[in-house]
Amino acid sequence: MRPFDAYLHAILTEGEAEARRDRSATIEAQHLLLAVAAQEDTAPQRVLAEAGLRHQAVRVALDREFEHSLSAVGVSAAFGLPRSSVLPGRRPAMGATGRLALERSFASAARKKDLRPAHVLVGILHAEVGTVPRALALAGVDRAALLARALELISE
Amino acid sequence: MPVSEIPPPQEPGDALAAVVALRRLADQLEDAAVEEAMRAGWSWPQVAEALGVTRQAVHRKHAKRLIAAGVKLRRRSP
Repeated sequence: MRPFDAYLHAILTEGEAEARRDRSATIEAQHLLLAVAAQEDTAPQRVLAEAGLRHQAVRVALDREFEHSLSAVGVSAAFGLPRSSVLPGRRPAMGATGRLALERSFASAARKKDLRPAHVLVGILHAEVGTVPRALALAGVDRAALLARALELISE
Repeated sequence: MPVSEIPPPQEPGDALAAVVALRRLADQLEDAAVEEAMRAGWSWPQVAEALGVTRQAVHRKHAKRLIAAGVKLRRRSP
């Protein structure tokens, strides 16, 4: 397996686990971002960490976005929501935003053999609207600067 | 604060994100509430009627998960 294929496999596997943890039926862009942030000793993970986005910080930012979005319509997620059981064998499917992020990743490389781990992060960061850019903005992260840094990784 | 006093979000992005967050919250709440009801001995028809959906819909969505979680499911309403 090429290094990129192994990396993509790790991202998809971890993204699926993140979706499960999130009680989500689908793997969305935010689950892929969490997966990227969890791949220790990879260039995209270091770029995120340099921007203050270690795995736990991404999770905190996403939780904050959820609470912030609910509060805009007067709803508080602060009440103690009982945790429901999860079906062990159920596999989350790729969701619309997850698919879009991957499509943008692949489209950002001229040829398939040029794909590198940073392309995945680039694909995720390309989204201008939705949960991920909102979470980054709320965390005070400059998405455009982060995207520029990820693009630098590709050209290095 | 009553809902009527909360102004609707000014930014379309905020309003759309609120929809996403509410759906997620509603899904989580539904999973937890159905599980609690079934553990408390409610029947599928009762849960379905309380949710305003068909028995088939609620069964399709939750039965496998609850069986896997070891919830004792009742077949008939009292």
